[in-house]
Amino acid sequence: MFGSLYLKVFINIILKRSETTVYIELLSNKNIIKNIEETFTTKSINEKMLDFILEYTNESPFYYVAILDTSSAQGAIPTCSKNQIGIFHDVTSSEHRCFKERWSYFTSREDLYALEKTYKPIGIDFVFSPFVMLAEFFKDKIDSHLAMFILVEEKYLSLAVFDKSELLFARHMDVQKRRDEEALLVYDEKAEELHSYLDEGIDLEEINPIDELEFLDDFADIADLDALEEIDEFADSQDLEEEFYQDQIQESKGTLSEGFNEDFQRFLLIQSSVKRFYSEEKYKSTFVESVYIADGCGVSQDLKRYLEEEMFLSVYVRKIDLAKQVCELAKAELNS
Amino acid sequence: MRYSYTKPRKKSIFTPELKLAITFFMITLGMLFLTYGFLSFKDFSFQSQKAEMIQKRFDLGEAIEAMKAEVALINKESLLGERITTQNSVLKDSITNLFDLIPQRITLSEASLLENGLILHGITPNKDIYNFMLQAPLRSIFHKTYSSFYPLSNGWLRFVSTNYIEDDSFENNMTGTTKEKTAEEGEDEN
Repeated sequence: MFGSLYLKVFINIILKRSETTVYIELLSNKNIIKNIEETFTTKSINEKMLDFILEYTNESPFYYVAILDTSSAQGAIPTCSKNQIGIFHDVTSSEHRCFKERWSYFTSREDLYALEKTYKPIGIDFVFSPFVMLAEFFKDKIDSHLAMFILVEEKYLSLAVFDKSELLFARHMDVQKRRDEEALLVYDEKAEELHSYLDEGIDLEEINPIDELEFLDDFADIADLDALEEIDEFADSQDLEEEFYQDQIQESKGTLSEGFNEDFQRFLLIQSSVKRFYSEEKYKSTFVESVYIADGCGVSQDLKRYLEEEMFLSVYVRKIDLAKQVCELAKAELNS
Repeated sequence: MRYSYTKPRKKSIFTPELKLAITFFMITLGMLFLTYGFLSFKDFSFQSQKAEMIQKRFDLGEAIEAMKAEVALINKESLLGERITTQNSVLKDSITNLFDLIPQRITLSEASLLENGLILHGITPNKDIYNFMLQAPLRSIFHKTYSSFYPLSNGWLRFVSTNYIEDDSFENNMTGTTKEKTAEEGEDEN
């Protein structure tokens, strides 16, 4: 009754690798009267961050704290049926929700408690799954396309394959820690090659990326999926690696940036995920041609290029402000 | 839409600061109401006491009036008593005097005291004794004296003496004023 007299304060927390971004939105009767974003060098909550949040929570008793789930033991399952959930994941120690009676998403109950404990000084009202965010962000595409949708965070990667709103496959991966064997093997192989280049040194004048990539044009016309075997060969191409590396050097003045490593790792994780999607029988396998990336951390063009060139996917990248998107979810959740 | 793993905590407009302020105002208001109630009660009590006092004063006034009336009545009764006492004294004196008047040789058989008169019945040895020894003093007292004689078998006479005082003289006697009156001559019916 008196709630409308007060401001509504939405505090949205995005946990990054070593930082925490806090986006605060103050609403008065659904009108944004102020929004502010601040980044703190903490992975939990420090005094500075607490003071910053309390400054705004003190303005109204109607404040809501929302956070994007960071649990590494989370994911999504292509069913809502309790009988079938077990086929995909053991949810006995997980909290799971159903999304529009089509598919489910889950997270570790233990991690949820840990999250609530970490943010006890301010409390937590909403914990959103990145898959929900992905589904809401690409709502227009998911409803009508068969594609792979990826939410790229600084530390995590949430991948889902949707066929006209039907979830076929989903995977949540830690970019740094979670490397399955496949990814590791490929990564090690490529890292070895890269290191050899680094040891030898790079002469920019000697490199002619356009010439060396000319043969790639042949691949652009590939329509026959059987040619995928050749793609593996293409993936091993040193030229492409060089080209990839060259661009990095040109962009960031001769340093092998962390961004490149991460994007490359992301690519490997995506590649391994796609392989898993195609190989595991429990997933309704369909050939994926398009990938929509929600870029929440500023990935380089390399990832796009890598996906296009290595996996022959049509890649569409949309920038996503994770904090604002969490805020939108919180607002929608509150008004539901 | 329920996408969050957790439910939002219940929000209340009653923040700790607001609770403190409300508590403070409630206590203040409570104290004010208590004071108001106490004063109202006291006022009511005083009003009741005042009404009681007024009623008491009225009752006492009435009682005083009743007592005054009673005092007046008692005074009147006292006066009446005094008057009766006086009258009785007078009567007693009169009777004493009457019996003093009766000579040894005359015997009274009946004496009737009237308001303004005296009727005596008795026996006398003879008329002379009666006339000289009884009728003379009676005439000095009463204005009118009538005597009747009846002879008895032994030779004595039975007499009836009727004596009256005139009204004015009677009134004067009653107020204690003794007036000497000259006896008028009586008439003998014999």
